[in-house]
Amino acid sequence: MDVFGSFTLLLAFVCAVYALVGGIAAIITRHPLLVKSTRQAGMATCVLIFIATFSLEYLLFTDNFSQAYVVSHSNRDLSAFYKVAALWSGQEGSLLFWSFLLSIYVISVLIAYRNKNGELMPYVGVVLAGVQTFFLTLNNFVESPFKTLATVNASGVLEPFTRVDGNGLNPLLQYPEMVIHPPNLYSGYTGFTIPFAFALAALLARYPGEKWIHLTRKWTMIAWCFQSVGILLGAHWAYAVLGWGGYWGWDPVENASLLPWLTGTAFLHSVMMQEKRGMMKVWNVWLVFCTFLLCILGTFLTRSGIVSSVHAFANSHIGPWFVGFLGLTLLVCFVAYYLNRDYLKSENQLDSMISRESSFLFNNLLFLVACIAVLSGTLFPVISEGLSGSRISVGAPFFNKIMIPVGLAILFLTGVGPLLAWRKTSGDSLKRNFGWPVIFGLLCGVAAFFMGYRDTFSIICLVLCGFVFWTIVMEFYRGAKVISARTGMSKIMSAHELAMRNTRRYGGYVVHFGMVLVFIGLAGSAFNTDVQRPMNIGESMKLGPYTLVLQSADTKPEQNYTAQRMIVEVLKNNKQLMMLYPEKRQFQGTEQANGTMVAIYSTLREDVYVVFAGIDPDSSLPVIHAFLNPLVKWIWLGGVWVVMGTLLALMPNRRAALAVGLVPQTTASPITQALNPSVTLREGHD
Amino acid sequence: MTNRRLAPLLLIIAFAVLPLFAQQQADRVKEVGGKFLCMCGCGQVLTQCNHVGCTVSTSMLKELGTMVNRGDSEDKITQTFVQEFGTTVYAEPPKSGFSLVAWLMPVFYFLIGAGIVVFFIMKWRKQAPAPAAVAPAGVHISPEAYERARSQANRDTED
Repeated sequence: MDVFGSFTLLLAFVCAVYALVGGIAAIITRHPLLVKSTRQAGMATCVLIFIATFSLEYLLFTDNFSQAYVVSHSNRDLSAFYKVAALWSGQEGSLLFWSFLLSIYVISVLIAYRNKNGELMPYVGVVLAGVQTFFLTLNNFVESPFKTLATVNASGVLEPFTRVDGNGLNPLLQYPEMVIHPPNLYSGYTGFTIPFAFALAALLARYPGEKWIHLTRKWTMIAWCFQSVGILLGAHWAYAVLGWGGYWGWDPVENASLLPWLTGTAFLHSVMMQEKRGMMKVWNVWLVFCTFLLCILGTFLTRSGIVSSVHAFANSHIGPWFVGFLGLTLLVCFVAYYLNRDYLKSENQLDSMISRESSFLFNNLLFLVACIAVLSGTLFPVISEGLSGSRISVGAPFFNKIMIPVGLAILFLTGVGPLLAWRKTSGDSLKRNFGWPVIFGLLCGVAAFFMGYRDTFSIICLVLCGFVFWTIVMEFYRGAKVISARTGMSKIMSAHELAMRNTRRYGGYVVHFGMVLVFIGLAGSAFNTDVQRPMNIGESMKLGPYTLVLQSADTKPEQNYTAQRMIVEVLKNNKQLMMLYPEKRQFQGTEQANGTMVAIYSTLREDVYVVFAGIDPDSSLPVIHAFLNPLVKWIWLGGVWVVMGTLLALMPNRRAALAVGLVPQTTASPITQALNPSVTLREGHD
Repeated sequence: MTNRRLAPLLLIIAFAVLPLFAQQQADRVKEVGGKFLCMCGCGQVLTQCNHVGCTVSTSMLKELGTMVNRGDSEDKITQTFVQEFGTTVYAEPPKSGFSLVAWLMPVFYFLIGAGIVVFFIMKWRKQAPAPAAVAPAGVHISPEAYERARSQANRDTED
């Protein structure tokens, strides 16, 4: 199977090269057969990558310990669930997984548009084949996952051999979320290849209008959704497994995942300017280019070891390959832009400084500043070492100081944007629209103050959350009121109808609501408290309003590890709430043998987060480290709403068809008819 | 006699003040420790590192506690840690010398970006045509013009 996998991967490389070179030839010659054959080569590439990926999974599932990758990342006792995750736990496998996910997107695009956009698709195929060729080069010639174990025998000849068992999977990865977090994040990274390919193709093909934006809107949203979910799952994994009490430490790999998310979010907003007003064409193209380049940079940072990180599970010497690919891609983008920049002339007209357009411009500015701040902070240790000779660390305090004000400004614009009209907003409209949201926001701040929250930034954050929340409620209420008046439906059904008629707009508001919940959760982090001490059985300690009692300790042997558990009772007002079981896991056969499993009692108000931190060397007693983290649950709930909002935005609009009644021409002008339509509503779907 | 009377009083004061002093010291350790990273490679702030069996943060915190109890200034503590671990011990870049660049970069980008945004808004406003005169009541418009206006209105108000 390893030879088969290796062969299919090589064949995939050949097909990708053909799709790339043949595609360029097809664009030049416009020969229909060549166009068709290169498209089919692109599809064949994807199928072959699927086969190679399944071959590696087969080797993992059948415990084929003659394979170096299987030996390094699996063992006999590893459950089937984690054998799936072993595919992306190492360098070679994760690069193959990149190719696999990219292939899902590529084959979907090639099939979906096989009979459409005849002018554009050959260019799209070439760009996609180019990206696939790069990753297949790594898969085949730099980091092949199909390496057989071999040793030099007495006569100096290489001889294959098979190990009895493998080293096992990194304990930090043996957690359910690690089976879904990397695929989500990688689906985000790879998904941004599609809008990139369409943007570059449209530029190269001098494709008129905003067609590429309409074509890629859904692909961009899908990639963005995966990226968002991936980031949140990564944060939850860090929270539940690493045991340091937090979910976001501004680690370089976390930052790397945030970078394309920031530019991707900016793109999802600014793209509306191009669709509605024909503006910011150059900006949008470059935002897509940057998003893709940042995805590659993210993969490079995760895999190259250029910056140290607790999330980087594989380091190697693939850095120069990525730098070369980044440089080449940037060059292609720049040349394509320079040669075809005349085709990106915008209609650039603004009626007023106070308009939806201006809010989008400032929104984009803030997202970009956030992106540059995170990027420069992440790379500053490397830059400082290169320029001044000494490596200067940039930790969480730096990022918090920079990003909290930027994040709050973005949150403010999240509320302001929907209140402003396109083109121009009058003073009266401002007063009318801002009044209640501002009052509600201030009430939230006052409530937070009386609940004991005393941190300035947190209170500002909660005020803004209230403000944004009320703007969203108003948006739904106003629209629902109109539909309710016309149709007699209840307000709730009308709100549902409203959302279904313009899924993109109201899906966007649902996403905004999800982000409000995330920000509420983030505001709580200023009030985290913790207590740590060695505890004897029966001893208790206070943590805010809770009392933690160490009831007992036991050892629980499992298939792949042995867990040393602490049984901690959580009491509030002398009433038992629940039992928590923080544990330390001793894994068999792994190089890094210890793992932590945090126990969390989670409510909307706060999390009681208990870690078994080890044995105190002086007293030989177990050390319990307990945290009281307010509002954390809101972050995960926010993530759920973000996904629901994106799914809503991806749905087709339900159309309320208008059947204009016959009105005598003499009674009213067409414009009067438009203002007072004699209409009947007929519901229908796209 | 006076000394005998004063002794219990001093003892009471000492017992009352000692916990406050100890709390002050602990707060200072937390405050100063928040400015350094744990050097075990976890990348976390020294006072927040709780990795299972992390001996590095334990010894660093012990050293920090000794310096704080001795009354060392923050500058002296920083110098000691930098000498011992190098500049990678900083949790955030110092606001001096080359490191100042890290702090100035985001502000610089924001100011430049804001300048560019305002510049373009002003430029695009100049290009905007004067608003069309309001049609007098009773004037009919062509169906094509009406359709154009309606689609423009739809586009402008959709999102």
